[in-house]
Amino acid sequence: MPKNIEKIMVIGAGVMGAGIAAQIANAGLPVALLDVVPANNSNRNAIPEKALAQMLKAKPSPLMASSNIRNITPGNIDDDLHLAKDCDLIIEAVVENIEIKKELYLKLEKQRKTESIVTSNTSTIPLSHLVADLPRPLATNFAITHFFNPPRYMRLLELVGGPETNSDALEALTHFCDVKLGKSVVRCKDTPGFIANRIGIYWMESAVRYAIEMGLSVEEADAVVGKPMGIPKTGVFGLMDLVGIDLQPHVQQSMLALLPDNDPYRDIYQASDLLDHMIKTGYTGRKGKGGFYRLNSINGKKIKEVLDLKTMTYRPTVKPELGSIAAGRHGMRALVEHADIGGQYAWRVLSKTLSYSASLVPEIADDVYAIDEAMKNGYAWKWGPFEIIDQLGPQWFANKLRSDQLIIPPLLKAINENTFYTKNIKNQQEFFTANHTYKKISRPNGVLMLSDIKRQTKRINGNPSASIWDIGDAVLCLEFHTKMNSLDTAVFEMMEIAIREVKDKHYQALVIHNEGANFSAGVNLGLALFAANIAAWPEITKSVAQGQKIYKAIKYAPFPVVAAPSGMALGGGCELLLHCDGVQAHAETYTGLVEVGVGLVPAWGGCKELLARWSQYADHPKGPMTAITKVFEIIGTAKIATSALEAKQYLFLTEHDGITMNRNRLLADAKTLALSLVENYSPPEKPVFFLPGESARLALTMVIEDMHRNGKINDHDVTVAQGLAIILSGGNTDIVQSLTEEQILSLERKTILSLVKMPQTLARMEHMLETGKPLRN
Amino acid sequence: MISYKAPIGDLLFLYEEVFDPNDISNLTSQQETTTDLVKTIWEEGAKFCEDQLVHINRSGDEEGCHFNNGAVRTPEGFKEAYSKYVASGWSGLTCEQKFGGQGLPNSVNIALEEMLCSANLAFSTYPGLTRGVYRALRLFGAEPLKKLYLPKLVNGEWSGTMCLTEPHCGTDLGLLRTKAIPTDDDNYLITGSKIFITAGEHDLTENIVHLVLARLPDAPKGIKGVSLFLAPKYLPNNDGTLRSRNSLACTSIEHKMGINASATCAMNFDQAVGWLVGEPNKGMQAMFTMMNDARLGVGMQGLGIAEISYQAATTYAESRLQGRSLAGSKHPEKPADPLVVHPDIRRMLLTMRSFTEGARALTLWVARHLDFRDNAVTVEARQSSDDFVQVMTPIVKAFLTDLGFDITNIGLQIHGGHGYIRETGVEQYVRDARITQIYEGANGIQALDLVGRKLPAHAGRYLRSFFHPVQNWLEKQNDNDEMQVFVAPISKAFGRLQIATGYIAQSGQKNPEAAAAAATEYLRLFGLVALGYMWGRIAETSLNKQSSATNDFYLKKLVTAKFFTQHILPETGSLFASIMSGSETIINPPIE
Repeated sequence: MPKNIEKIMVIGAGVMGAGIAAQIANAGLPVALLDVVPANNSNRNAIPEKALAQMLKAKPSPLMASSNIRNITPGNIDDDLHLAKDCDLIIEAVVENIEIKKELYLKLEKQRKTESIVTSNTSTIPLSHLVADLPRPLATNFAITHFFNPPRYMRLLELVGGPETNSDALEALTHFCDVKLGKSVVRCKDTPGFIANRIGIYWMESAVRYAIEMGLSVEEADAVVGKPMGIPKTGVFGLMDLVGIDLQPHVQQSMLALLPDNDPYRDIYQASDLLDHMIKTGYTGRKGKGGFYRLNSINGKKIKEVLDLKTMTYRPTVKPELGSIAAGRHGMRALVEHADIGGQYAWRVLSKTLSYSASLVPEIADDVYAIDEAMKNGYAWKWGPFEIIDQLGPQWFANKLRSDQLIIPPLLKAINENTFYTKNIKNQQEFFTANHTYKKISRPNGVLMLSDIKRQTKRINGNPSASIWDIGDAVLCLEFHTKMNSLDTAVFEMMEIAIREVKDKHYQALVIHNEGANFSAGVNLGLALFAANIAAWPEITKSVAQGQKIYKAIKYAPFPVVAAPSGMALGGGCELLLHCDGVQAHAETYTGLVEVGVGLVPAWGGCKELLARWSQYADHPKGPMTAITKVFEIIGTAKIATSALEAKQYLFLTEHDGITMNRNRLLADAKTLALSLVENYSPPEKPVFFLPGESARLALTMVIEDMHRNGKINDHDVTVAQGLAIILSGGNTDIVQSLTEEQILSLERKTILSLVKMPQTLARMEHMLETGKPLRN
Repeated sequence: MISYKAPIGDLLFLYEEVFDPNDISNLTSQQETTTDLVKTIWEEGAKFCEDQLVHINRSGDEEGCHFNNGAVRTPEGFKEAYSKYVASGWSGLTCEQKFGGQGLPNSVNIALEEMLCSANLAFSTYPGLTRGVYRALRLFGAEPLKKLYLPKLVNGEWSGTMCLTEPHCGTDLGLLRTKAIPTDDDNYLITGSKIFITAGEHDLTENIVHLVLARLPDAPKGIKGVSLFLAPKYLPNNDGTLRSRNSLACTSIEHKMGINASATCAMNFDQAVGWLVGEPNKGMQAMFTMMNDARLGVGMQGLGIAEISYQAATTYAESRLQGRSLAGSKHPEKPADPLVVHPDIRRMLLTMRSFTEGARALTLWVARHLDFRDNAVTVEARQSSDDFVQVMTPIVKAFLTDLGFDITNIGLQIHGGHGYIRETGVEQYVRDARITQIYEGANGIQALDLVGRKLPAHAGRYLRSFFHPVQNWLEKQNDNDEMQVFVAPISKAFGRLQIATGYIAQSGQKNPEAAAAAATEYLRLFGLVALGYMWGRIAETSLNKQSSATNDFYLKKLVTAKFFTQHILPETGSLFASIMSGSETIINPPIE
């Protein structure tokens, strides 16, 4: 049994196979990607090679850096299966045809080393069917690893072992998928659709059926079975458009073929003329001529249209005006209790889906926690079914089912007036199990969740925007919890306090981390814009200076400060990373100094720090101009690194900064990094800049004017870029004169204060705030 | 008998000296609007108000309107005055030429509105609402409706009303019950009762055009299920001649505290024929267009009534001899000195004057932006002007009508006991002014509009149209030593407004009640700073003109500016202190 999985083969270079191979490549591991030899093509590797070409083009990209593609070796089954002899893991992702799969397994058996593991990515074929009459060494090393599409971004991995599967193999797979690929691994039983699709397909079926039966419009249905339920705003019809409407009948048929005879899915399922008609006429969703929604171009204007289910014609979408949707903001119960059609619909879909979920324990999983995790990570639900039942109140839910004369699943009866989740005496979270006892949620080794710490300890300090927590081993954690984790005065105040706490109370290090979707979207743009609109210039000047001061305090603190970002770290959030001693970044971290997008420049030391980094960058030729030009390009075009790996290319992260694939492991890794810096720690030296001044500014101005002439940038872009050029060239200086960082900071301040008074900048800020998109004015 | 003199001199000073008249004449539609033309128009208007309208003000109040079997007869002289008003073309002054209007700018019209309100507030309510009906119809009406109705509204042959209020619903229009049932003829039958309908019925015009809020049969509940309809008193033929009486009627008129010559009607619609204006269930959108127009109009009533009250008080204070000056007799030849020598009387007169003249400047500033909003060249300029009008509308409405009431009251006080008896006529101003704080959205509602809607909109973008010009102007005054005496207090008050604005925006985001509790004080703070800025602008202009022939005029302006900045603006300090004390004491304790 291999201790580590280090070499991998993926067979099948379709959407899933290629995506899985890409994620393995993202982990920095070598992977062979094989497919069949095409019939009419002299290139025997044409299929995987096309998949590789596709990877480089796809948006969002399956690759975290395009150079990762070098980790993937294309090949074909006829010539290259022998490569399996070096592989620790072989993942099969070929068509869902049991004969083809089995034939492949038999071929593989002759090539692979005996201790290697073979898995299938099947979503519809039971493991018991796949391993039936397979040679025994294979059966003991065989499992299903069910990825979700797209494999880079969907966190769920369903892992299914059979009765013969070696438990070490399952352990090795769990560790590999969790630590290397960053997946949230949920162990499933060998039942149809495993967990997520079993419940997800039932939910979709009921959501579509009742929408049509009850006469809701497509938008109304999506607005109800979407955001108010914690489900992505695509709802159900939007989701079908996204995955492809033509996929539905296949999914439905395979479920019908496999499910037990008395499964409630058989009652909710209805053959749909509507879907058949749409598929036949090519309306298969986003990939086809349109689906339940489409974008139509009328007089050059893009109009979002929706299929009117009554007339079967498209019409412009109308924002649903249902009282139940508004009521849903006050909780799930308010939604389902609302008397209007939306409330009734919500109740029918939820009551069905939730009681179906409850009826499946222990059939598909031993515990409710696994089911909730699967739905949250596989379908991107905000809450799992049992968390939703807890929100409704299990007893209230059971009573309502009773009064509606619906069946109450035994698990729901058993829970009685309790809830599925509870806290024990130590404030640890526990869940209700199939044997009607509570069990503690256990975290794997190397997982440290801030949410656990928050539940179990008292915060050291805090205000409405940020808090400080003790995360053990004499390390403090500073957490932001504003909307989008944007930075405001209160966050800065807490940063100051955190620095003081570490110093005064003899902690060893500080980690800056939060479990929000985004580390930080930068400055609170709304507040900044409001202050600018009322001409509160002194306030704005103060907050720019305050940010510079506190970021400098972080940089020169007498102890290590490590940031642990995930998601977006933009603008001021990115500037914060630049001031830390080290960064342990989640692989899915998106960094950038994007200020020019709103007509501003980085002014909390972002220009200064990035310039210092590029100036010291070992790999580049002497002379300051290369660094200046590079930083000018990165900031001037608001480059966003689309992964932690890519952030290293821009020097938003340094080569010493760490990358963690699994978000749940981020805080522990960051703490380890911080502690590794403690011994003999001394704060960084203050940088000294030698910048060319006017000559560099003129050189950049020529670039700016050239871009303006070519129509690449507009008038206001020119103004902003010229401001940036003044900062990066060092202002009024020359190359023999040394500049302190305070002098660069002063240039940042001066520039931003002149830009923030301009109406074009204010219009950009407003547009970003209201639409989330940059305005080109 | 009170006489009235239109403040043409002050108006022209503002129009061409404080503000730049070229901004108006440079607008594409206004190239012929020279200052000479403006002056001529204003003088004509002034003549009508001074010679005719002011003389039927008190008689109209004494006589009131007469109701008889569904018909309303206006007081003696109103019909003639209205005919004169229409014949002079006042009714369509700002209306589009293609509908028979004169297409003149709002900056010109605003002065006439003020004069009308000074001379006869009750009279002004008859043509007053027609303009709002014109605007709503022009923006939201279907072509045939526009073609048939707009020319008649523009030439004043027909007048307009807004039918919103019902017996059980005033401010909260979501509760309204009047129904509109569609017919096969593309129109609707409207049934319901409306109350407090200004000029709902009268004898000044041959037809009355009602804009009525009602619900369609399938309308959603609440404010989102309200539609707007047009229902005329007489159904017209396509050529504008009258065909038959529509089935709607005035059932009674109200007996009121003031504006007794204005008919406040209860209306009954009994399957009255009407047409939809705008989209179904989007009636509030059209109604708000009309209401915003009307709100500015009511603000003008506050200014107008303050002006005449000030004129009456000045005349009285100069002619009434009572007591001797504490500094020694000023007129030893007379039995006593005139009232005007006494510091407290002077304080009252200066208060009246500084508020009134400052408010006049403010209304002209707003009127200019009404013109820019509709006619400026760039989208950005039009938007910025619209932003300005949005934020200033509740301030003009509430702040100026509060001033109207306060100032008429001061005017009465100066008259002493003679003000309290009816004969001098000044108690009528107090009574007439009182309604302006209530109708078209009570002043508390205006304050809520300001803090709840206007302040947070687009992260404060509306505010920029006010705060940036003021800030820039203040910065520009830095090297002008003579101006510092004005700039220092204005700057201080402006700083208070900035801080209070930020505070309310932030606390309001967390708790809407906190913003609501501060709303009225905030609106007054805003209004005072706006007037302070106007006085700053006036002082700046006057300093430059001191050596000119009309020296006295400018010296008087400088004195008044000093009075306002030294004695009125400090009120911003107490408002600020109160706002910054937070809202808890207001929100939390049980009052009931």
